[in-house]
Amino acid sequence: MKRSALDVAVGVFLLVGILALGWLSMRLGRVEFFSAPGYVVVADFPSVGGLKAGSAVEIAGVEIGRVDAITLSDYQARVTMSIRRDVQLQEDAIASIKTRGLIGEKFIKINPGGSEKLIKPNGKITEVEPPVDIEELISKYVFGKV
Amino acid sequence: MIRRLMLGALAACLFALPVPVSAGLPTEQLRSAIDRVVKTLDNPALKGEARVAERRAAVRKIANDIFDFPEIARRSLGRHWAGKTDAEHEEFVGLFADLLERSYIAKIDTYGGEKITYTSERAEGDISVVGTKIISKSGTEVPVDYRMLKKGDRWLVYDVSIEGVSLVSNYRTQFNKIIQTSSYAELIKKMKSKQQGEFTVEEKPAAKPKTQ
Repeated sequence: MKRSALDVAVGVFLLVGILALGWLSMRLGRVEFFSAPGYVVVADFPSVGGLKAGSAVEIAGVEIGRVDAITLSDYQARVTMSIRRDVQLQEDAIASIKTRGLIGEKFIKINPGGSEKLIKPNGKITEVEPPVDIEELISKYVFGKV
Repeated sequence: MIRRLMLGALAACLFALPVPVSAGLPTEQLRSAIDRVVKTLDNPALKGEARVAERRAAVRKIANDIFDFPEIARRSLGRHWAGKTDAEHEEFVGLFADLLERSYIAKIDTYGGEKITYTSERAEGDISVVGTKIISKSGTEVPVDYRMLKKGDRWLVYDVSIEGVSLVSNYRTQFNKIIQTSSYAELIKKMKSKQQGEFTVEEKPAAKPKTQ
């Protein structure tokens, strides 16, 4: 009798431990199961150069979403991102891929537009700026082309 | 019989081959405008320092045909465009067109036989992106993309990206910064003073006694 109570206590403790571990890994891995992930928009870039799924989407430095996936579509990079529901994007908003600092990670910066038309869920940001490849630029203007 | 079939198949293949540079309407219209600009700059009758004003006027006239200045201005002002009166919009478009002219048409003046190639065209609904490359004499290639919007049967440029850096995005960031740190009135004042700075150098001393 006494022994089975101890067993139950250990079992419960273990279960709580496993749940805590699960919660921790979800937090660290930024997996969102429960919270609403927001609405999805896509944008086609000529190149994404180092942007990854999970990269931040920002307006004025404030994170408003994340990159869900990057796929190839008609030899362009199609970036699928989820945007917080309370943030509206205008049709002429410009999405640019920027680098944090000189060699930092890549993120998407959205420059909000002034159009009255908004981008609907599953819509597309047509105005895009690919990342500037500083290395390529330097080599081009330093050495010239063959 | 077999030969005819083969010829037919060959013809079909030829027609089905993807054209590397699809000479769509946007490319055609852009090409014609750029060709006219190049012709103007190469025109011996308009060459030389004395003809600067004439040459620039000619280039601006062509630019007005292919660039949609109100659209560029609206997009560059971004969020701050809404809530302004039509008169304010008109004033801003005028000032902005002058600003672009000062910064770019003066640069176009330095044109010296660079080659321009048309590399791609991507259309999606009313928006089309025409990719071009400017190849300098030393062989440096500068990619310049023109984003065009369909207005009736004309395609008009509403944004230009050089090396992937967008003109509208650049001005939108600058205007937004000025408006947020000071005000819209300050931006207009700045643009006006820049505009006058170039033309009224001689007028300034004349205005001085007034203020004293």
